[in-house]
This record gives sequence, structure tokens and C-alpha cells, in this order.
Amino acid sequence: MFVWAFLFSLRSPLRDAAIQSNLSEPRLPHSTCGVTALADIKGKAQPIPDMEDYDVRSAASILASVKEQEARFEQLTRALEEERRTLQLGRDNPPPNPATSQPLAWQQVVMQEQSPSNATSMAMMQEPQDVVEETVTIEEDPGTPTSHVSVVTSDDGTTRRTETKVTKMVKTVTTRTVRQVPLGPDGLPMPEGSSPLGSYTDSIDRRYMKNGGDRFITPQASSTLTRSYNNSYNDSYGETPESQYIRHYGLHDGYTDLTDNYGSLSRGINFRPPRYPYMPNSYRPENSYTLPNRKDDYGHMAQPQVPMGSSTVDLNRSQPERFQPEPYGLEDDRRSFGPEDEEPYELEPDYSTANRRTLKGANRGRTHREPLRDGPRVRGYPDEPIDTELIDERHPYIQGIYSAPLAQPERGSMASLDRMGGRRSPSIDSIRKDPRWRDPDLTEVIAMLAHPIDPVKSNAAAYLQHLCYENDKIKKDVRHLKGIPVLVGLLDHPKSEVHRKACGALRNISYGKDNDNKVAIKNCDGIPALVRLLRKTNDMEVRELITGTLWNLSSYEPLKMVIINHGLQTMTNEVIIPHSGWEHEPNEDSKPRDAEWTTVFKNTSGCLRNVSSDGAEARRRLRECDGLVDALLHALQSAVGKKDMDNKSVENCVCIMRNLSYHVHKEVPGADRFQDPSAPQAPGSAGPQRKKKDDAGCFGGKKAKEEWFNQGRKNGENDKNYDTLDLPKRTEPSKGFELLYQPEVVRLYLSLLTESQNYNTLEAAAGALQNLGAGQWTWSNYIRATVRKEKGLPILVELLRSDSDKVVRAVAIALRNLSIDRRNKDLIGSYAMRDLVSNLPSGQQRPAKNLEEDTVVAILNTIHEIVTDSSENARSLIQAQAIEKLVAINRTSQSPRETKAASHVLQTVWSYKDLRNALTKDGWNKSHFQPTATATPKATKNGKPGYDDTTLPLMEKNQDGYSTIDQRDKDCKYKTGDSSVDLTEREPLKNDTSRKHYIRSNRPAVSLVDACDVKPQPVDSWV
Amino acid sequence: MSFIPGQPVTAVVQRIEIQKLRQGENLILGFSIGGGIDQDPGQNPFSEDKTDKGIYVTRITPKGPAEVAGLMMGDKIMQVNGWDMTMVTHDQARKRLTKKNEDVVRLLVTRKSLEEAVNNSKGHQARH
Repeated sequence: MFVWAFLFSLRSPLRDAAIQSNLSEPRLPHSTCGVTALADIKGKAQPIPDMEDYDVRSAASILASVKEQEARFEQLTRALEEERRTLQLGRDNPPPNPATSQPLAWQQVVMQEQSPSNATSMAMMQEPQDVVEETVTIEEDPGTPTSHVSVVTSDDGTTRRTETKVTKMVKTVTTRTVRQVPLGPDGLPMPEGSSPLGSYTDSIDRRYMKNGGDRFITPQASSTLTRSYNNSYNDSYGETPESQYIRHYGLHDGYTDLTDNYGSLSRGINFRPPRYPYMPNSYRPENSYTLPNRKDDYGHMAQPQVPMGSSTVDLNRSQPERFQPEPYGLEDDRRSFGPEDEEPYELEPDYSTANRRTLKGANRGRTHREPLRDGPRVRGYPDEPIDTELIDERHPYIQGIYSAPLAQPERGSMASLDRMGGRRSPSIDSIRKDPRWRDPDLTEVIAMLAHPIDPVKSNAAAYLQHLCYENDKIKKDVRHLKGIPVLVGLLDHPKSEVHRKACGALRNISYGKDNDNKVAIKNCDGIPALVRLLRKTNDMEVRELITGTLWNLSSYEPLKMVIINHGLQTMTNEVIIPHSGWEHEPNEDSKPRDAEWTTVFKNTSGCLRNVSSDGAEARRRLRECDGLVDALLHALQSAVGKKDMDNKSVENCVCIMRNLSYHVHKEVPGADRFQDPSAPQAPGSAGPQRKKKDDAGCFGGKKAKEEWFNQGRKNGENDKNYDTLDLPKRTEPSKGFELLYQPEVVRLYLSLLTESQNYNTLEAAAGALQNLGAGQWTWSNYIRATVRKEKGLPILVELLRSDSDKVVRAVAIALRNLSIDRRNKDLIGSYAMRDLVSNLPSGQQRPAKNLEEDTVVAILNTIHEIVTDSSENARSLIQAQAIEKLVAINRTSQSPRETKAASHVLQTVWSYKDLRNALTKDGWNKSHFQPTATATPKATKNGKPGYDDTTLPLMEKNQDGYSTIDQRDKDCKYKTGDSSVDLTEREPLKNDTSRKHYIRSNRPAVSLVDACDVKPQPVDSWV
Repeated sequence: MSFIPGQPVTAVVQRIEIQKLRQGENLILGFSIGGGIDQDPGQNPFSEDKTDKGIYVTRITPKGPAEVAGLMMGDKIMQVNGWDMTMVTHDQARKRLTKKNEDVVRLLVTRKSLEEAVNNSKGHQARH
């Protein structure tokens, strides 16, 4: 179970990130308001609250408590020695009280302190158990090392805090050995085993043993020791060299571990001895069972963990440490972590496996624990005053909320519950080991973040990360307890273990819908701190965590500009450029590197994707960010080259490109120079009709109308030039944002549209063409012509058959923008009309694909654009059997926007007098082409509001519409969507095949290519 | 080899001289070409950079003149008798290769293995 749990915990953070990424939706830029909102927030970083000042349990008080604990520890050690003697005496004697009342070793200790007489009996009881356990452990030892290693490895791996904890555990084990020594002699070969050990081997094994045996060992009671434990230990036993102790007691893991744990966790907490006599009972049975299981678990778990890191190193470290008398060295850290870590980890596994989903467990734990709260006070420990203080302060939290998170693990075993009755609930494992143990409550964990000993910090942070995984409540609690500034402060900690774990916790905290958490991180200057760390660290895992956190943060609008201000260039330089394979100064000798789709790149591009939707200023910053556009393009080219374009990174890159392409013709520096010179003058032949259409358009604000009108004129003018239009000659390769709108990108997007299976990528690529095809400047003319010449129209039309609503919508709007080009319009009218029409709902029946209202409107608008100024296209519309559908929509659609759009098309069609004969023959009359009395007014009222505020030309307006669905649309979508679910499910197949067949047979996609552009197509010729 | 329009191209090239073989009234080289600026470079299976519109050797007749001369499938033809082949249409390339009044074509070709060989030997790159 242990191993399993580890894996889970490891995974969970990752999952978090993934989820987050899903949450962050690419948004087309539509507004710049975000920037303003940010202004206030941007204020300079506030000094990070000193961690020590930060909480009531200041370092000072902690130190004080440590000292008290040390004192206590001394007492305990003395008691232990006594106990040892007693035990030895009593070994031979059968336990007075069989299983029922056997107290754990630690319990015994406690008892001694409180009531010495009891202690003795307890000791007796324990011995038998210990023996049994020990045997087990010994056997395990050979196997254990492996698991150990794996665990250690995980430490190195950093990500898995669990693993780290394990390492710590090992050390703890050593300690335990010492204490257990007394017990060991009784039943076990302990002395022997211990002697060879050299502490090294033992320690490693211990760990295992600890896992297996710790529970048994319960001696944890002794755990009351603080980190000082080592010192105190030495003092008390000063006569005997540590090594001796180790040898003798080496086998007994339980004791030391517990001690260590104590120190690291809250001093106050650890000390509580189990009050309840019955607890031991429950305890015992578990132990016997648990040991074997644990071993098994370890073995399994260890292996998976191994790959993570190099455990060997850790082991080595830990070994020497044991020998060293210094308590505060690495060992100390570990110790402190040990118990806690173990518990949390173990718990974690439970959580993860059991699934945090079973949060109820946590609640349970809480409930049980509450009674325990009082425990500490009751006891007469020397520490008490301090403890009490701490507890009192914590108390409110603890009872209600904070303690609960920790408790979760407990749910697993009833035994733990029992104990809980006595104490704060420890994790299941910990419970088994030692009833006294409990998980630290949230306040305590946060206090530990400020602990002077680094490993305590990192373990506390790791534990926080674990607790916060998919638990919004705890995230909120952490925020309220002001844990976030402390975590942010730890980002600047020099030790990688510490800032890594802190970052992990921040990532989980920043994930989710609770934007307050994100704001809290920002408010304590978390964003610059993350960026700083990103610059500083080379650790891939840390970088993943940082960028994951930034990605999470970037999903909240007001933070986007902050992230841009602090992190844009850093993310570009540190991640995007290196991972994209792009080089500023390409080395001629080296071939271009391919992009690497690393997690870091994915996270960073996701973050940039989010921030790129924050309005014009954000777009400007991104476009002008040195190397960003170049690198993104290079990455995408590389994706196309490798035919690897379905992944998330590509999706993110395309979305960024799409967003940055939005309004290039207005926002790019020097755009004025490229404005189509013919625009102002020369009304085209299309003028009147344009105007008419405009009036009919649903986007008709006065200003918009005029703009559109002008566009129409420009179009008329430009259309004639297209065929002869030569791409501008460049004297030097374009770079930076210029690359966004160079005709070369058309091929890239078309490749993506052809090859990608990822709907989001398809949508974004179509959206990019849509954005680039909008507007009146030289480059959009080129783009529109290039799409045709690159044979992009058939590709786009083919995508009208996509099953994805948003792809169809983006493609439809792109076609509409492309049809500003006169030749494109003719081609689309001739060859794409049927595909467009087939996406329309027929009659009352929703379309086969059950397209959203937005999409239907987009298609109608595209049709409208195509038939405007072209009676030929109107004729093909009629031939495509569209009139029936249009009339049906006009008359019966529930959507005012659809009604209106259909009505516009119909009016346009009717305006071609030469078509009226044919229409009449088909049984239509004027009334069919007039707006329905009820629909139109409704449409004007309801249809407009969403767009009214904009002065953007029609097509751009539409862009916005498709990128960001406004609220009203969304509602409609959901309403309408439900009714036709069934249809959607069965129709698509049928429909799709038939349509495809039709198109393939009758109108080969190739035909959609402009005849003028068609070049000889010798793919291959013999010479 | 990246290709940037308007920028000089750097590549490791090999000179290959092919003696045309007369078949009836045709002179043949014994290979086929693909690519060209009028072709879809994305469909070129040989190019590393899928935007590369250069002329590539797509097939080689066994025992034909091209094979004898050492031409290989996938070679990119940089020049034909001194004429640039990196910015030509497919048909222009074909015509340049099949001039009836020339019995010999001298090609400059580049291929991946050449570059690798050069890089591996730390040699200098030939430029042209």
C-alpha cells in the first residue's frame, strides 16, 4: 500500500496541472479591459512576511517548545532506560495482559511518565509483539534495501515529496533502533543484527522495518523527543557511544523514527501520549497484520519509485548521518520529517488511492480528532504551557477545519479511529505504528514552513501540496491561515528541496476555480518570485512546477498582465526559445533543431496562450517580445515537419499565434504603411450592394456599417488586382511579429488544417487564417490570395464537414473573410455552397450535427457574404437547395440571431431580379424572402446587444463572437443543445458519409482551386 | 539545411556528372525529380524542411546513368550545369535537365548523409 500511495501522490500534482490546462481555454483576444483592472494589483511586491513573525507559533515559541521537548526527552530517555531494564527482566515472563491491553512501547513510556507503575506492565506486554515484528523485519531487511533505494530516489526526483519522506524515514529508523534496543534483546536477534550493521545497512533496512515494524514499535511515544532528540540522546546515554546503541538497538526502528517525527512536526503535537488504554489493544492486532503487508507494499512500490531518482546517494548520506551525533545535521531534518512525512505520505497514498475523493474520510478524521485536542493540555508534560498556547490558538481552526485534512488518511483503519478518540488522528500507518501520532493540523503545517530547519520546511510544503490536491477547502484554509506568503517566501530559498516543494504546493493551490487563491499568490509577489526562480533553477522538475503554477495563475484575467509584466521575456528566453529549437543566429553548420514537446514547454505555452487573450496591450507585448513569435513559428514548423501536431504544445502555440494574429492590421507598428491605398477612394461596383447588405447585417451599428462599407469598396477595388498581385519582395528575412502575417504562414496553417486531429488546433489554425484574412491592408490581401494559391480553399471546405462545432464555425468565418478576395468568393460560391448549406438545419429539425447557434449564424453570415455582389453565387445557393432551409430558419427558428441572419440571406437573394423567375418556378414568392413580422424586430432587439458595442467590421466582430461566446449565446446553446442530442449522435455518421461521398465523387476538392492558380502538377517526372 | 528566401543557401554539396544515355531519340538520365516552387513541398517525402520547394531526386533507374554516376534517391539538386535549381518550377527543372543539345549534365547535389559526414569529420563545409 505504501508504494502505491506514493505513486498516487506523485501523480496527483501532475493531474492537477493537466486539469488546469484544460481549464485554461484559449481565448481570442477581444478586450483590453484586463489591463486596466490589473493596474491596481500590480503594485510593487510587498515584503514577504517574515515567516517567523507570520504565525503565532513563531520561531521563538517553537524553539522554546523544542527546548521543553528536549527536557522532556531527557526525562523520557531516562524512563526508557528504566523501561529497558524492566523489559529485560520481564522478557521471560509472559505478558501479563495478553493482546487486550498491550500498550505500545511508546505508550509504555508515556505511562511511565504519567504513571510509572503502569508503564512496566505495558512494557511487558509489548515485548512479545516486538519480537514478532522484529523477526519479520529482519527477514524483510534483505528486500528492504531495494525499496529503500527507490524511496530515496524519489527524493532526488524531487517531485515526489512522498519519496523524500521515505528517506527521512530511514534516518528515523536508526533512531528507533536505539530505543528499541531494550525491546529487541528480548525477543529478537536484534543485537546481532545491529552489530554488523554498521549503522548504514541497518538504517536502510530500518526504514523498511520501520515501515513494517514501526507500527509495532509504537515506542514512538518516546517520539516526544524533538530534533534535539539526538543531542539529548547523546547526553543521556553519553557514556555509551552511539554506535553501541545503534548496534544493539539498531533493529528497532520504531523508536527513533517517532522521535524524529516529533521534532519536525509541531512540537506541541507530538507529545501527546495516548490516553486511552483501549487504544493499545486495537493497536496491536493491526501491527501484526500490518507488517507483512507493508513489506509487500514496499517491495512493489519501491520499484516504481526507483526510476525517479538515484536513491543511492541519499542512502549514503543518511548512513553517515546516523553515526554523527549532531542532531541538527541532515539527520535532524529527516527526523523531523520522518514521522510526519511518513504519515502524510502514507496517508497520501491512501488519499490518492482511496482518492482524495473520499474526502469524507478527512471529515471523519476531524471529528474524531476533536476530542483529542484537549489531550495535550490535559497531560502534565513540561511542555504543556507552550503547547497549550499553541493549541489554544490553533484550536478554533483545528476543531473545525484544519485538523481535518490531515485526518483523512485515518479513514482507512478503524484502529486509527480508536486512537483518534485519544488523540489527533494520525495517518493510518502512523496510527498503527504509534497511536499517539497524529497528523499535524493545517496551522501546524503552515507554521512548520517557517521552521528553522530546511527539511522541515520542505516536508511541510510537500505535505501542504498533498493536502491541497483537489481540495478546494484546504486551499482556502491555507489562504486564510496566510500560508501562501510563506510558501512564496520559500521560493527564494537556496535549497532546491525547499523551493521545489514550496512550488509544488503553490501549483496545487493555484489550481482550480477559486481565483482568490491566485490573487493571494499574486498579492505577495508570488509571480515575480516564480519568475526569479525560473531564471535561477536548472532543475527540470522545478521548472515544470513553476511554469505549471504560472499556467494556473494565467487562467485568471486580472493576473494576465502581471504575468506578462514579470515573466514574459523570461518565459520566452528560458523556455520557449530553447525548447522550440529556434536560434537567434542560426549556425550554418548545424541543422535546425526540432522543438521538444516538454512539459515545461507545454506549461509555458499554455500560460502564454492564456495571457495572449488579454486584449490589445497583451498582444502587443507578446508580439514585441523578442524571439517569441520566431520561436513559436519554428516550433510549429517543426511539428509539421515531424507530423506531430496533435499534442497540447502545438495546440497552445497555434492558439497563441491565432491570438497574436488578431487585429494585426490595426495593432502592429507601422501598420499604416500597409493600409490598402485604394481603400479611401474608388467605390467598387459592389458599393450599393454592399451597403444594402450592411443594412441587413445583424451587426449593424452605424459606425460598423460605414467601416464595412468602406471595406466593401476596397474589396471591389482590390479584387481586380489579386491575380496580378505579387508578394512583396523582401530584402531581408522578416522576423518577430512580421512573421505573423507573412504569406509563408499560410502554408503552415494549411498543413495543420490538413494533418492535425486535434480540434482545438484545427480551430485555432482556421482562426488564424480568419484573423489574417480580415482587415484591409496589403498583407491581408496577400494572405487571402495565398490561401487560394496554396490550395487552401478545398482544405477549409473539407473541414466544414468536421464533427466539431467550433471547427466548423472557425472555418466558416475564415471562408467569409477569405471571400473578400473576389476570386475566392467566386470559387467558394461555386464549390463550397453545398457544404455550407448542408450544415444548416433543415426545417424544424436541427442540423445533423446539431451545431450551436453561433455556428449556424456564422455559416449564414458566410453565405450572405458569398452571395452578396454575386448573382452567380446566389444561383448556386438556390441550386444547393438552400432556399427551403433558409425559409424554414427564417420562419421557425427559435433563435432570433439565426432568423435574422437567414432573413438577410433571403433578402439578398431576392434582390437579384434575374433569379426571381427561377425562384417563382420553384414555388417561392416574395413573402418567403421578407423578414417575418415577428422575427425581425425580435432579432434586432435581441440579436444586436452582444455586438452593438463594437465598432469592428463585420468579420472581426464575428471573430470575437466565435472566440468568446457571450453569455447569452451560451445559454442558448445549452437550451437548444439538449433537445437534439439524440439526433446528433446518430446523424453524423450517416450524413458525413453521404456528404463526403457526394463531394468526393462530384466535386473533387481540387476543383476548388482557382484555375489561374493551378500549376502543372507533375509530382514527379523522369528525366 | 534551412532555407530562407532571399538568403544565401549553405550546403554540403557533391558534384555529380551524368552522361546521358540515348534511348531512341531521347536522351535519358535515369532518374526522376519531384518538387519545385510550384509544387506542394509538404508532400515531398525527402525534404527535412517541409517548406523546402527544392528539386529532389525521387526515383532512380537501376543501372541507369544516374545510378552509375552516384546519384541517390532523396538527393536535392542544387544546380544543373551551373543553373540554380532551388528556386525553379518543376517544369523549369525538368527542361533544364533534358536539354537535347547537352550530353552531359553536371549536378550539384546535397544530401543528409553528406552533411552528417562532414559534420562528423569536423570538416569544413563547402559553400557555394
